[in-house]
Amino acid sequence: MRLVIAHCSVQYTGRLSAQLPPATRLVMVKADGCVAVHADGGAYKPLNWMNAPNRLVEADGVWIVTNPKGEILTITMEEVISDTAWEMGPDPGLQKDGVEAHLQALLAAHCDQHLGLRLVRREYPTDIGPVDLLCKGPDGVTIAVEVKRRGDIDGVEQLGRYLEFLNRDPLLRPVRGMLVAQSVRPQARVLATDRGIRWIEVDYDLLRGAESRDLRLF
Amino acid sequence: MKFRCERDVLVDALGAAGRAVANRGGSLPVLSGVRLEVAGDTLSLTGSDLDLTIGVEATVAGDGDGVTVLPSRIASDVARSLDAGSVSVATEGDEAHISSGRFESSIRVLPADEFPRLGAPAGEAVTLASGDFAAALRQVVPAASADDARPILTGVLMTPESGGLRLVATDSYRLAVRDLPGTSVLREGQSVLVPSRALRELERLLAGAEEVTLRLGERDATFEIASVRLTTRLIEGEFPNYRGLIPSSYPNRLTVGREPLIDAVRRVKLMAREATPVRLSMNGDGLELVAITQDVGQAHEQLDAKYEGAELTVAFNPEYLLDGIEVTPGDEITLETVDHQKPAVVRSVEGSEFLYLLMPVRV
Repeated sequence: MRLVIAHCSVQYTGRLSAQLPPATRLVMVKADGCVAVHADGGAYKPLNWMNAPNRLVEADGVWIVTNPKGEILTITMEEVISDTAWEMGPDPGLQKDGVEAHLQALLAAHCDQHLGLRLVRREYPTDIGPVDLLCKGPDGVTIAVEVKRRGDIDGVEQLGRYLEFLNRDPLLRPVRGMLVAQSVRPQARVLATDRGIRWIEVDYDLLRGAESRDLRLF
Repeated sequence: MKFRCERDVLVDALGAAGRAVANRGGSLPVLSGVRLEVAGDTLSLTGSDLDLTIGVEATVAGDGDGVTVLPSRIASDVARSLDAGSVSVATEGDEAHISSGRFESSIRVLPADEFPRLGAPAGEAVTLASGDFAAALRQVVPAASADDARPILTGVLMTPESGGLRLVATDSYRLAVRDLPGTSVLREGQSVLVPSRALRELERLLAGAEEVTLRLGERDATFEIASVRLTTRLIEGEFPNYRGLIPSSYPNRLTVGREPLIDAVRRVKLMAREATPVRLSMNGDGLELVAITQDVGQAHEQLDAKYEGAELTVAFNPEYLLDGIEVTPGDEITLETVDHQKPAVVRSVEGSEFLYLLMPVRV
């Protein structure tokens, strides 16, 4: 990721013509070749941008970004204030914590109803991080529940680490695992089953008792 | 590994296999690549995200057998950027060289030994005429849900029905049912749930093909179209009991020209902004469509139609309504209703092989 803060003007020609008069802006050049020009305001939308694949040519204070569609973004750099580059590595993707946390809270509140378990503690602390829900099953066995919006292999691995740790505690063991998610990926199902971990899919809307204006068939 | 082929052959093969490639590679980075294997003059390409796998075979001028995995996106971009003509691909160490004319590039390859071994397709082969099957997919697949939160609904149910095959999909707001009489694919009592994403890809592959061979395994389904093989995991779980949702009779029945209704809905829905429904008012004079969006405007249009039943106004999501009408065959369609809150059914006047059940919107 290259970040350039510069006093610059920008000219775009392609589907239409657009110009940004001279001002101080942030120019982002991402590893995949995307180029975005940002102002010091607004949450997400750049003033102008070119999606990859792009070709960027820098020459004497002028950046020319072209793409196969024939669009051209010309950035005239009048003064470069800062020019830094960072290797950011692979992106694990968006985690919607708000939904996940809410899902955990809803399950904790109705643990018996939705999971058939009795809640012992939410966010049960361990040295390697908190277990989302620690519960007791009908047979009195301790169950560690990992709550995810989407259950994938990483979630199973994470729960496996918790189980390994919790099963060292003579007061808790044997501890079994349960992965609860709005959807569980097929690979995660196979891995969970292989490791003796139960998985359950839950409907977020049903859990929160959401009433929709939309009528449904079922 | 070394081979030479026409640019279009490489572009088409990379494009087809690349459709199954995982976007980010996930926990297995090698899945962001396409596996290429040359054996003699046959080039086999495979792309997979473990749920969906697409394999393609092409005839090339082979100059050395071998296996490699090319990053799908960049390899495809490079191939597409080339002028028409001969392209050479050769691997050397951890790089693949792609050259054509005076162009030459080298791409860092992905570790081929990490690419998952994919089993041979299981199950008995059944060959279908691709035209009817593609038409059925076009009618049913759009009704499947795109919401991973309810994975069962992201699939299309394939089930035997009266000696033929029935395809069913629903996202809980609408339900599409298409029968293919005489198409015997499944054993009595055997039903499978095929991911709609795989069937969308299959629909693309079926364009121009004459037949498709289907094999159903225990956990996956394989479709073979000429030199392309698409394998998808089946969805596990029980599809909702859709039969109980379709009433045997309706008190109200509207018969209207299909094309005029499509055109009218398209025009009127321009004023149905911000999830506003389109209202259909039906009476002895015909049909009136109305859309009103606060602070934007309103539109209405009167259509000639035959209506039997009590005067009724019912509102629908215009996109869902259009989806159903557009794929209903014939010049005239019927819209059967019970009341403004119960599901309505769209059918063709000319045949009973397709049915589209649509839930109204509360207004």
